[in-house]
Amino acid sequence: MHNEPRILKYTEALREATEQAMAEDPSVFVIGLGVSYKNGADGTTAGLKELYPERVLDVPVSEDAFTGMAVGAAIHGMRPIVHHGRVEFALFAADHICTQAAKWNYMFGGNNPVPVVFRINVGRQWGNGPQHTQSLFGLFGSVLGLKVVIPSSPYMAKGLLRAAIKDNNPVVLLESRWVFPVKQEVPEEAYELPLDKAHVVQSGNDLTVVAYGDGVIAAREAIELIGDQVDVELIDLVSINPIDEETIHASLKKTGRLLTVDTTSASFSIGSEVAARALRMSDVTFRTTPGMLSCPDVPCPTSTALSEAYYPTKVDIANAILAQCGKDQITKELTFEELHLPPTHTIV
Amino acid sequence: MSTRLDAFRRMTLLRIAEEETANLYLRDKIMSFVHFYVGQEAVAVGVSDSLMSNDRAMGNHRSHGHYLAKGGDLRRMLCELLGKAEGSSHGKGGSMHMIDRSAGFTGSTPILGSIVAIAAGSAFEQKHNATGDVTVAYVGDGGSEEGGVYETMNLAALFKLPLLIVVENNLYSVNSKLLDRRSKEYSVEGVVRNLGLAYAKADGNNYDDVRSKATALLEGVRAGKPAVLECLAYRHMAHSAPIFDDAQGYREEDVLERRLAEDCLKKMKARLLEEGSSEEVFSDIENEIRTHVLEEIAYAVAAPYPSPETLYTDVYA
Repeated sequence: MHNEPRILKYTEALREATEQAMAEDPSVFVIGLGVSYKNGADGTTAGLKELYPERVLDVPVSEDAFTGMAVGAAIHGMRPIVHHGRVEFALFAADHICTQAAKWNYMFGGNNPVPVVFRINVGRQWGNGPQHTQSLFGLFGSVLGLKVVIPSSPYMAKGLLRAAIKDNNPVVLLESRWVFPVKQEVPEEAYELPLDKAHVVQSGNDLTVVAYGDGVIAAREAIELIGDQVDVELIDLVSINPIDEETIHASLKKTGRLLTVDTTSASFSIGSEVAARALRMSDVTFRTTPGMLSCPDVPCPTSTALSEAYYPTKVDIANAILAQCGKDQITKELTFEELHLPPTHTIV
Repeated sequence: MSTRLDAFRRMTLLRIAEEETANLYLRDKIMSFVHFYVGQEAVAVGVSDSLMSNDRAMGNHRSHGHYLAKGGDLRRMLCELLGKAEGSSHGKGGSMHMIDRSAGFTGSTPILGSIVAIAAGSAFEQKHNATGDVTVAYVGDGGSEEGGVYETMNLAALFKLPLLIVVENNLYSVNSKLLDRRSKEYSVEGVVRNLGLAYAKADGNNYDDVRSKATALLEGVRAGKPAVLECLAYRHMAHSAPIFDDAQGYREEDVLERRLAEDCLKKMKARLLEEGSSEEVFSDIENEIRTHVLEEIAYAVAAPYPSPETLYTDVYA
């Protein structure tokens, strides 16, 4: 028998999870701007309108109303998937996401589930500038009552989206646009991944690197650059609400060194939160002061001449790892493509 | 088909439940916001009496009346106002978060206009599953000025949702007058009709007018023509306290004498007297309801508070 590996792009994996859920459960529907287009929502809803015309709803640019309508449908037993192509537009619906869906079960004393999924695209994309590239991870992570996950690979995107659809709570998927063209082998059959567990990408003894989303891709590349010099344990956080402290704790007890990687600005970042929690772990002895790599505290600019200095590169991450372990820094010129175009490789 | 006397009985329940709640509030037993519905009872009862039992309603910060008129449980409401474990939200919600799903009152939120979009989602579910039922969203004139309400009207018309939006126009957003918030040219009817919804205006101090206008609109709503029913009613008390606030001087049209003259219960009694009812019948009903409400309040006052551990429960379903 000869089986070709089944390679899907991140966006194709999201689409497959959606189609499978819609086929199984008539209460699942998709709502968002342009989701009915042939290549809807960057391909993540492509062709679904033809299959389920009543359950794929294109809408006016009325984020407040259509998000609220989805929340109301979820309160009354449906399982909507709301798509916001840019987080900046999702903020128009902040009330429905943060105050209605996230608080509904609590404010009514339980037994009032709101099974809605908010798929929100965030972050880096060339030439998009200050108002189209925010990530706002910290903002979503701080909203009690939401579950918040950040899939970093196609395999994870499919499994987390399915778990989110099946969950009885509002779940936010923050999808890094930068990862969209990345490919990976993805099983055809439906599967779920836990919404509250970090993933140890590779285990090691010298240093714990905590990353998430597109930061995981860059961290993997950095580790490749370094080679055998440092035995890195790379943790993909996966979920930022809740944060899987158990996995971080187990790792830090082993390594005693922490580096966090954020692909957004530093203040109120996930890295800050992880470091704060790590420092409260009384049985962890730190061998060095925890390091933190992030974008600077300025908005993301548009010009490549400026954005080049904005995001931490694989070389920056590699050097931060080496610095944590007292090793010499490396220098490497990156090409324009490496600096400004999203990765398209296949994760193995 | 409920009679007008039945409606009087329900309106009286709403009124007395709040009058006695006001007494509790003034005795410091209620440690939260309470927005009183006194004066607007004809709207909730008139609308509820035009609904079928499987229809749903959703409300706002001022929803004791909407809840009770839809058949919400009095004891669980009073317990909730007092922050007790037996409350409809086990003490986590309070006055601004009324819910009794068994009665079809499926929630309320004090973020005002938000409920209109959420109720549209309920109507979407009803349409999707072809249940033939409708959803009512109660919103005030102030809340109806939020952008999401206009957006939702467009969506409701676009998707032909069985949604009735009841705008209770009591003239004030807190204490801000209509003309402080809208130009003289502003027309609710114009906005609503031009977005593709049906519209009717009712005298919210008059049960019969509310009920007949709601009934007429609901025929269309059930067939997929969403509608707005604007009810002009008087809020007898202050925005969020059980006090008569005339001394603040913001009221123009609805001064105390006018409110009392136009009181929906007074008008209802006049109509019932014409039909041969009597003052004795009214006072019997009032006494019976007051006794019942006071018994339920006594129960709620004595009921236990939630245990502190429940602070941590129900964040997730």
